Parts: sequence; structure tokens; C-alpha cells
Amino acid sequence: MGIESVGTSDAEVVRRVRAGDTGAYGALVARYRDRLARYAVHMLGNREDAEEALQDAFVRAYRSLERCDDAARFGAWLYGILVNRCRTTGARAAKRGRVFVRDEAALNGVAHPSAAEQTEGEDAVRWALARLTPEYREAFLLKHVEDLEYEEMARLTGAGVSALKMRVKRAREQLQTILREAERV
Amino acid sequence: MFEPDEELIGRVVRQLRRPVAVDPGVDARVMAQIARFPARPGPGTARAGWRWLTRPRTVRLSPLGALAIAAACVAVVLARPDRDSHPAPGSAREFGFVIVAPRAATVSLVGDFNDWDAARTPMQRARKAGSVWTAVIPLSPGRYRYAFLVDGVSWLADPAAPAARDDEFGTASSVVTVGGS
Repeated sequence: MGIESVGTSDAEVVRRVRAGDTGAYGALVARYRDRLARYAVHMLGNREDAEEALQDAFVRAYRSLERCDDAARFGAWLYGILVNRCRTTGARAAKRGRVFVRDEAALNGVAHPSAAEQTEGEDAVRWALARLTPEYREAFLLKHVEDLEYEEMARLTGAGVSALKMRVKRAREQLQTILREAERV
Repeated sequence: MFEPDEELIGRVVRQLRRPVAVDPGVDARVMAQIARFPARPGPGTARAGWRWLTRPRTVRLSPLGALAIAAACVAVVLARPDRDSHPAPGSAREFGFVIVAPRAATVSLVGDFNDWDAARTPMQRARKAGSVWTAVIPLSPGRYRYAFLVDGVSWLADPAAPAARDDEFGTASSVVTVGGS
């Protein structure tokens, strides 16, 4: 699975936007919002920062739409912009000294089992994810949560395939260690 | 070295793949923000034709061709104090962008400062039939990415300026940093 569009093709919507139909861009926002939001929230660990990065990515993509060489792959191009915005936002948050905080609001309205142990498990996963370096977290999310091929990840991140494979491997190992330790506490 | 626990990682992935809700107002905020930008021209307008003509495209060159372009194009950025003829907001200073492109028919300056719109800052030949193209624009303090668009098809970073390492649009660009006064 890669970053593919569904329904009315991205290329057609992009063509309409480029022709002056600003409102058509709303279809692209609606199409990609949830998936991009998931990545941003997990990457940044904070809904407020994630929404800022998400909004910024959509606006930047609109302003630079002429630079999208292959409109049929708008989604992949947009994803690359979001990955960069998350890096920038994450670095800024790190400078502010922000650390991972429990973000109940990020899961409001999402249907999932409500058992106490389920919530604890989710908290543990997010806590463990936040303890990874940004590079490891980024690689893990793109590979396993967004289900991208390594070649696509390389295009999005600018890192080599070998480096990405190593980051994913290390991320998996560290997550396992962190979560196993947490279970023993 | 142990092998990662597949069952544990699978559980993590299943949790992380669940939908995450964000403020539904994000859509409205994005649309409100882009509505403030200048409208894109409709089809059939001269500007639309110009935009099509100058839309960045990836150009594949032979090594010899790339060498020829590299040799033919030299660019520099020059700063000069404010001039009365170009009033600039705040502490903006005028910056001159120069590229040597002897075989170019058109050159545009595109960057963060003009929304990467090739129609907004066409560069002018320094003299008739000359090879030096210039553009002078006011820039407030900040960091700007930019590039040159030659003949509407060749997207060139400035060989005389630092490369934009964080370019997110898939094409090479350069960086100019304008300091505060």
C-alpha cells in the first residue's frame, strides 16, 4: 500500500484548483485530513502541535501547487510536506522543552474499547513512542502505521533506504524494550 | 541480539492505526486561509497561459548538457539599502538577484517571497541581448528559499548560494537570509 488517491482523481481536483476553483481544494483537505492527522498526532505527541502542522501543510501545498510535478501523486507530495512540517514543529517544541503529555482530547470521539486496561495500553504505547528519537519514530510510523514502501519513505524523508531500514529495526527493538520494562514496573 | 517481539509490535501497530480525531475546524481554517490568497486565474486567461508555460518541470539532461547549463548560469544575490523609488515595508531592504544565462529567452525569480509564482517576478536582461538577468525586490528580515526558472522549464538553484536543505517540494532551491537592521 502506498499513498494513493481514491474517488475523483487527485489529478482532476488539482487541475480544477489550478484553474481557479479554490473551493475544490476542500475535497483534497477532506480526503487527506484524517490520515495526515493521525501521522501528525503520533509524530508530535500533541494534538495542538499536530493541528498546526496539518494546517500549515495544507496551506503550503495550496500555495505551491504549481510545484507538484505529478498531480496524480498529490497525496505523496502532500505527505512529504507534512513530514517536513512535523520535523519543524517537533524541533520547535523540543526547544520549548515540551515533552510528551497525555492528550485525552486527541482520542475524543474515536470509537474504541473503553476498558481501563485498553486506555492504559494506549497510553503506554504513546508514551513509548514518544521516547524514541524523532528519526526512529518517523521511520516506524511511516513503515508500520502508514504502511509505506521503503522507496516511498526515502522520497519523503530524504534518507537512504538502508538508513531507514536500520531506523525501523532500532525503533522496533526500543519499543519492545520500553514496553516490556513498563510491564514489569 | 534478540528478535523483536512480533506480537507486541503488532499490538502497537494496531493501536496506532486507529483513527485519531482532530478539530473538525481544521478544514474551515485551511479554506479560510487560502481564500485570502490572490485567486488563481481561470482557464483561458493570458495569466493562465503564462502559468502553464512557466510551471516547473523536471528536465533530464545529459551530463554534457548539465555541464553546459552549469557553465552558462552563474547567479549572485546583492543587497543594497532602501531606495526611495522602491518603498518597502518595515525594515525591508532591496535585494538584487542576478543570474547569467546567455541562452535563456525568459527567466523568472520564484521563492517564498512571491509564493513561488513564476508570473510575479520576471527577471530583466541587464542590457539588450545581454546574458545577465536581474531582479530587485524588497525583503524583510528572514530566511527565504528561492530558485530561478529559465525558459519556463529549467528549475535552477542558485549556484552561488547555500542550498535549501529542507526543500519539501522535490525541487532544488537556494536560501538567502536577510538580517535585521
